[in-house]
Amino acid sequence: MSFSARLYHPEMEKEAFWGLNWQSTDAKVPQELNSGTAAAALLPQRLLNLNWNQPMSCDAGFESALSSAVVGQTGSICNSGEISPSSRRRSASNSCYSSPLNSPPKLNGRGALPMPINPMPGAHSVPFAAEPWFADGAAMLSNYGGGSSASFPGPFGLPVIPANLSRVSSSKSLKTGTGSGMGAPEKGSDAGMLGPARMEMEMMSKLGGSSTPADSEPCNGQEESSVSSLRGVTDSNARKRKAAARGKGKEASLSYAATDPFTMTEEENSDAKRSKPAEANGKMKTEQNGDPGRKQSPEPPKDYIHVRARRGQATDAHSLAERVRREKISKRMKFLQDLVPGCNKVTGKAVMLDEIINYVQSLQRQVEFLSMKLATLNPQLDNMESILSKDMFQARGLIPQPVYPAEMTSAAVSNVHQPQATPGQSIVTSLLEAQFSLNPLESSLHQSQSLQLVPLDGFTVASSQLGEFWEDDLHSVAQVGYGQDQKPAFSSQSYPGHMKIEL
Amino acid sequence: MMACHFLRALFRIQQTSTSSSSSGRSRRIRRAAYASMAYSAGTRRAWSRALLRKLRSRARLRFPRRLSRAATPQRRDMDQAQVLRKLVPGGPSMDDCKLLEETADYIRCLTTQVRLMQTVMDSISS
Repeated sequence: MSFSARLYHPEMEKEAFWGLNWQSTDAKVPQELNSGTAAAALLPQRLLNLNWNQPMSCDAGFESALSSAVVGQTGSICNSGEISPSSRRRSASNSCYSSPLNSPPKLNGRGALPMPINPMPGAHSVPFAAEPWFADGAAMLSNYGGGSSASFPGPFGLPVIPANLSRVSSSKSLKTGTGSGMGAPEKGSDAGMLGPARMEMEMMSKLGGSSTPADSEPCNGQEESSVSSLRGVTDSNARKRKAAARGKGKEASLSYAATDPFTMTEEENSDAKRSKPAEANGKMKTEQNGDPGRKQSPEPPKDYIHVRARRGQATDAHSLAERVRREKISKRMKFLQDLVPGCNKVTGKAVMLDEIINYVQSLQRQVEFLSMKLATLNPQLDNMESILSKDMFQARGLIPQPVYPAEMTSAAVSNVHQPQATPGQSIVTSLLEAQFSLNPLESSLHQSQSLQLVPLDGFTVASSQLGEFWEDDLHSVAQVGYGQDQKPAFSSQSYPGHMKIEL
Repeated sequence: MMACHFLRALFRIQQTSTSSSSSGRSRRIRRAAYASMAYSAGTRRAWSRALLRKLRSRARLRFPRRLSRAATPQRRDMDQAQVLRKLVPGGPSMDDCKLLEETADYIRCLTTQVRLMQTVMDSISS
């Protein structure tokens, strides 16, 4: 229906938004929330704009919508009801958090969805990923719920997100209680979009459909659901759908289930974030799970890393943690693939690891081989002296990458500085071109003195580091350099400067 | 920085060990190469820290024996992780995730060092 179409659209935006914020810090969310709450009036607008392209007038129509199980309407209702909850949001507390969630289910009987939804005025616009935000929303929700269903009409304007949260819990209860047909339209929606909108829709339908036994659920459950919804917004979408599929009813259960695991995980995640009560999560899970015999019982992952559970994947705490770990490892493997040449087409961890091991071994062998060659190849001392200094410059110019920006900067600085004027310029160019002669070399040494001042501040850290590691060798080297230099004055000054600069 | 350190060390080695055996010198050079690598990486990396520890304790750098491990017939994931741990300094004390991270950085540093040494050699021989 058009409703669902509208719903999905905002959901898509939200999805993208979530995806964006998924990794982002939670700060983003709270800010949004706060801003939302700051202007209660803004909230509904925001919600509307962000999530629901529906008119605010849903409030009135909410009840009707509920009854009609029109998801979209519920979303709008939530928006409108935000205003009141926004104030409550601030004072939210975890405990209260869950209550609002529970309330939605209860609302079902009353047909007043707004309660659970209100708590999250800004939630709608805020990505679920932000747990703090979620917490806020949860708190609001809880506050709202605590307020009583009486305030039902007002608070309902909660943003979609809260609705989602409440939906989760309500969905759970709904699932158990009634399998309102709300899920049907949701199912059709895109998985991505499902997200919060779906949750709300589900809740709405559920609420309208039947009184949710969610009341029984402790606030924790709500909190959890909200938390989990925050966390796994994207996941929840997939999960919700999945969960719904797994749940009892197809349509309703699908949506509900999706929300449930989603919320549950989110809650858990957010909880973890906030308080990291592993057991609490487990508790919530069990509560939620035990509720309507939901199949999915996303175990609350202990860590608060936002994990995006994919459809069809288990949502255990263990499996989630495993998944996080696996994703980290795969990320690093990809990075290694770029480093090791010729590994682009290689797929599979084992083969990749083989390649990596081979590469590391070959590199180490190369180092040994080159060191042997250098040992045998070393020319006479005098030659070495000039060559070494030449090489130093050359290496810098030739190997900009390994030699780090320090050298480039020093070269650049020298370019800029050039107190020695022409000789310096020539040195700089020679440096970059890796062409050196003794004269330019000396002048470059001379140059280095001027260079030291400029890059020093940039390299102070490096030099301090170097100083840390400054072993006797280095000192001896420097001394050797001093002794060897044809222009002792320069060398004594340039070497330290060199060292610093090069650092 | 690495180049500077390495070249200086090379120079020093050149100065001090003109008469030493080629293998001894090559060992020293190799040690200098790894030392410069470790210095350039600083303490930011676990492998560089382990490497520096080895250097500081004057223990011989445990360079991987030539392909002794590579010859192992069986290379499953767990073994591979073990092999990799032996290759990368400080490996045994890392978990898989960190191991991969350190390996990446170590590879990067190694390639830099190899390139540097090749450059030095080219300039010397030219």
